[in-house]
Amino acid sequence: MFHWLEKHPFFFSVGVFLVIAFAGLVEILPSFAQASRPVIGTKPYSILETTGRQIYIKNSCNACHSQLIRPFKSETDRYGHYSLSGEYAYDRPFLWGSKRTGPDLMRVGNYRTTDWHENHMKDPAGVVPGSVMPAYRWMYTNIADIPTAYAEQLTNAQFFSVPYNEPIPMKDGTTEVVKMGNNVTQAHAMALAEAKEIAADMKDQNVKDAVARGEIPEIVALIAYLNSLK
Amino acid sequence: MNKLYLWGIIITIIMFAATFYTLVITAGDSGKGLSEILSNDIINSLAIAGAITLVIITVFVVIKYVRQMQTDTAQGQLIDEQWDGIGEYLNEIPKGWGIAFILTMVWGMWYFTIGYPLNAYSQIGEYNEDSAVHNAKFESKYSAITGDRLVDMGKSVFLAECKVCHGLNADGIDGKAADLNVRIEEKTVKFAIENGSNNHLLGSEMPMPDRNGLFNSNTGALITDAEIDIVSKYVANGMSGAGEDVFMGTCAACHGEDGKGMEYVAPSVATFTPELVTNILNHGKKGSIGQMPAFERLNAKQKEAVGAYVTDLSK
Repeated sequence: MFHWLEKHPFFFSVGVFLVIAFAGLVEILPSFAQASRPVIGTKPYSILETTGRQIYIKNSCNACHSQLIRPFKSETDRYGHYSLSGEYAYDRPFLWGSKRTGPDLMRVGNYRTTDWHENHMKDPAGVVPGSVMPAYRWMYTNIADIPTAYAEQLTNAQFFSVPYNEPIPMKDGTTEVVKMGNNVTQAHAMALAEAKEIAADMKDQNVKDAVARGEIPEIVALIAYLNSLK
Repeated sequence: MNKLYLWGIIITIIMFAATFYTLVITAGDSGKGLSEILSNDIINSLAIAGAITLVIITVFVVIKYVRQMQTDTAQGQLIDEQWDGIGEYLNEIPKGWGIAFILTMVWGMWYFTIGYPLNAYSQIGEYNEDSAVHNAKFESKYSAITGDRLVDMGKSVFLAECKVCHGLNADGIDGKAADLNVRIEEKTVKFAIENGSNNHLLGSEMPMPDRNGLFNSNTGALITDAEIDIVSKYVANGMSGAGEDVFMGTCAACHGEDGKGMEYVAPSVATFTPELVTNILNHGKKGSIGQMPAFERLNAKQKEAVGAYVTDLSK
């Protein structure tokens, strides 16, 4: 067989390619699969959080804010534990960003709260003197698009097997279930239930009234998303 | 003389000439004489010497092997097998090559089992080392500081972590967070009385009851709206003014007659204490303004320092 191969350079090349490719796959694939598996404690996004994520993308927050903490002492002191690849398992697309005009937001849910975000998005410089971040006042009146977020959730659940309605293991050994509605009406009801909890911690009367009417302003969804970043 | 040597000498001369020509150009560009360039800088002289040696060696080594190809004849026994008509001699492998081959295998095994796994660079490994060095330095430098230095440290931590909500002057930015220049604001006292409080402060799991569990022992009845108003003003006023009797009748049982709290029972409402601040940093707090998150990534000394700074602010 080797004599035959030596006389047929094309098939010899194919053989060499196969051997090297196999070695590569054996080395790369298992560790890749391991690293991309969700970390314990990483949950899929709920309907309101998915909506907020779309608003985050729509307003290009990722142009100025990264979501990737590098393993340097100076970064972990400021932002918390460095990022692990499995923490992005449910991010489609990931929002690592490539530039920090503002701070990293990977774990902003750990150290900022609803009322702070409310003040800050309305007038960033009023809370952080010298901030160059623009105000996002329209988010307080624009109504969030729940059906589109539900479509994204549905795609994630059906095509990417994101585990909605299934127990997700948490760090403390318990499990949590992230529910997904069966249809748009149900999804909207679930989003509204989440929004009511957020709005209860907010001060803006127009936002509170809108949520009471059954409408969800964009700011509520965005805050739900930011609070989920942990 | 062999024609080959003649060619060798001609090529050598051409290459020397090229080297010389390059030197003349360089000298012309720099505005210095040729001898000046060579004598002023040993590196230049060495480079020229190296170029000349290289030319001579290259030319004559090439000549040696070309002659060998011309004159050598094959010797030794051929093996039976042929590859596309090319045969091979049945020779011993060269000793030096054989030793190098075996040493390479030994090195390969060492590298595979020990060399790479134990000495490989890892970003996380470097991070862990950096953190350990930093923490040790922090420990040796700051673990024993007290008094003014602790307050200074608290101020710098405050400016890094707390000012985003509480403001540069710790005034809470127009009610967006607690004003830390006073121990407690009237609305905060009211909120705690109306809603109760359980922030796991001072290690106690016991919640403070809401207004439906707060009796005024002077009147023997639940605390009233008027009493809440007056006692809130009393506490926010730094435990002075009207309302002392309500405080004594309702709050003093847990918070102490002077309002300074009791260990494992209730926190001080008269002054900040480092323990109280550390507790809030550990557990976070939900009150009249909103929620304050826990700041677990500060280390124990930093929390103590923030406590000292905040206590100092409201004095």
